[in-house]
Amino acid sequence: MFKKLGGDFIHKIANIDVQHNITKANKKIANRITKKLNDSNILGVDFVGAIGSGKTSLIEELIENMEGSIGVIVGDVISKFDAGRIEKFNIPVVGLNTGKECHLDAHLVEHAVEELPLDKIDYLLIENVGNLICPVDFDLGSHIRVVIISVSEGDDTAEKHPLIFQSADLVIINKIDIADAVGADAEKMVKDVKTLNPNVEVIKTSLKKGIGLDKIINVINQFKKDRNLKSTK
Amino acid sequence: MHELSMAQSIMNAVIETSEKNHANKVIEVIIEIGKMTMLNSEQVIFMLEILSEEEENRLTHGANFTVEEIPVEIECLECGFDGKLENADLDPYTPISRCPKCGNFKVNVKNGKDIIVKNIVIDK
Repeated sequence: MFKKLGGDFIHKIANIDVQHNITKANKKIANRITKKLNDSNILGVDFVGAIGSGKTSLIEELIENMEGSIGVIVGDVISKFDAGRIEKFNIPVVGLNTGKECHLDAHLVEHAVEELPLDKIDYLLIENVGNLICPVDFDLGSHIRVVIISVSEGDDTAEKHPLIFQSADLVIINKIDIADAVGADAEKMVKDVKTLNPNVEVIKTSLKKGIGLDKIINVINQFKKDRNLKSTK
Repeated sequence: MHELSMAQSIMNAVIETSEKNHANKVIEVIIEIGKMTMLNSEQVIFMLEILSEEEENRLTHGANFTVEEIPVEIECLECGFDGKLENADLDPYTPISRCPKCGNFKVNVKNGKDIIVKNIVIDK
């Protein structure tokens, strides 16, 4: 606003071209994370799934059964509960409290990565907040995204959340041992995922009964080999 | 669900640009939201209107927020279709990137995933 001689005000209206891409701002940080992981020969894997689908249980099983050193980032609205479950394995773990937020973003993950001893780990496992919707919009810089759902969420879960399955590199359908009890058709879930993402690997598991875990480990190891990331630690 | 955090990021960009351009007041903000983002435009505007009236956001009091939706553009890896998905191909709540010509899901999404603060109109 400018003051004119005589006391009146004149307004100057300006149209400013901003072109600030918020998605790309996240992607830029994600790319930095990927580079950091590549430089340290670490495979980054992020786990997305509904609340109670088995994300933390799967990470616990992987820590116990995979060869190589693992570091974990646990994201949750209040992360101390899940982070506490991982801490008992005595491996590097960073809890990320998202507070009111429904997802992790690259900015949060980048800070967590800074706290991890990258020279001592081969795999970085990132557990996202229990949610099949919001994480779609946020690349975390990991190499692969694993989506885990369970039969108890209903066998129409994939149909109802198509985008997250289209962005997945590996899909796990958990708790197949209770499919009959909850009236869910696990084969239909596999078919729905394959329709949405024809090339994705789908593994049926019962983590409580140890079914399918070996297949998951093989697929993750294959991803590491494909990216030429050598386990040296 | 993450409309509030997106609205906050949009507000940060708006205020930073306004201050850089010595704005006295922000009149209008135009935002582009891709149809393949998991955002509801109406909710984003609602959140922006709330944030813009907060005490510390003096520059944006009374600003008008407009969302322009960016259509989804795909390239089909099966039949070679290259173009926009018309509204009829998109469920407004769960958009699927599927080829409108051959129905295949093996597609490369070229556009429709971005959230962009396009331009702002300010009073200097």
